[in-house]
Amino acid sequence: MVQEEMSKTPNAQLSTSNVQLSGNASTSNVKNRTSNILRRIVDLIVAGVFIYAGAIKALDPVQFASDIDNYKIFPWPISVALAFYLPWLEIFCGFALVGRLLYRGALSILMALVLMFTLVTIAAKVRGLDITCGCFGHASQNWSFPSHLATNLGILAALVVLWVSNRSPKPL
Amino acid sequence: MRSSLIRQILILAALALIPGLGEAVYFRQKISWQSSIPPSELVTVDQARTWAGNVIWVDARPDEEFARDHVPGALSLNEDRWNELLPQFLAVWSPGKKVVVYCSSLSCNASREVARRLRKEAQLSDVFVLEGGWEAWFKKR
Repeated sequence: MVQEEMSKTPNAQLSTSNVQLSGNASTSNVKNRTSNILRRIVDLIVAGVFIYAGAIKALDPVQFASDIDNYKIFPWPISVALAFYLPWLEIFCGFALVGRLLYRGALSILMALVLMFTLVTIAAKVRGLDITCGCFGHASQNWSFPSHLATNLGILAALVVLWVSNRSPKPL
Repeated sequence: MRSSLIRQILILAALALIPGLGEAVYFRQKISWQSSIPPSELVTVDQARTWAGNVIWVDARPDEEFARDHVPGALSLNEDRWNELLPQFLAVWSPGKKVVVYCSSLSCNASREVARRLRKEAQLSDVFVLEGGWEAWFKKR
């Protein structure tokens, strides 16, 4: 009887560990799925922000050129060129995030852009320039410096989170 | 991996160039690559002279330059003494009069800024910037 029990025990242990394993696997699956959904939501929010911001500026490049010129960093022809180009870069990067194509390239460009916008905003503040943001067209015209900076840093944080949480890039 | 990232960046950068160039062509009449002032807000010396008595000349240069020489009848209105000079300008201004602002030359920004503030802060509509500024006027005097 005892021998019988002894012979059964390893199987019993095996089956218990199998149950534990499958339980762990399903918990980890749920966690993975949740984190994927959250990442996707952040993806879509960030993409939406850039597509909206790009579209608003692409519709009125004259105003955007003037907004860039207000920072007194580039000569006028460069401001005009940037006003025609940057909105479309934001739009394409936004769609790249939505479609998960050229994903890490889009994240890199957007991080560089937001970092550049943030530094330029701080530089303008330090030089005492009273500027309108221009980031989201008329909606952002009356933004204060702190809200401008907070928005930029919030978007930058979201981009960094997406970059870190998407370690395995999809090949092109 | 790094080369793939660079390739992705270059593809996106090149893609954005296509509509950007298209837009530059589409908006070519609405924006000048030479000057930040829209063509509709610029006026040449000859054009401003045809307005004769219906124009107020505004000198946006610093006080010393205004004191040295200026367009006959021009009023000084610069950003250094904006609060002090604006009421003097508004006392002379009347509805229907065109305002022509000038600074030293083609490359100066003062006239553009003064014109912008007159439109925004004083809510004036017929405000123009003199193309070529004082230099252009001086050549044609």
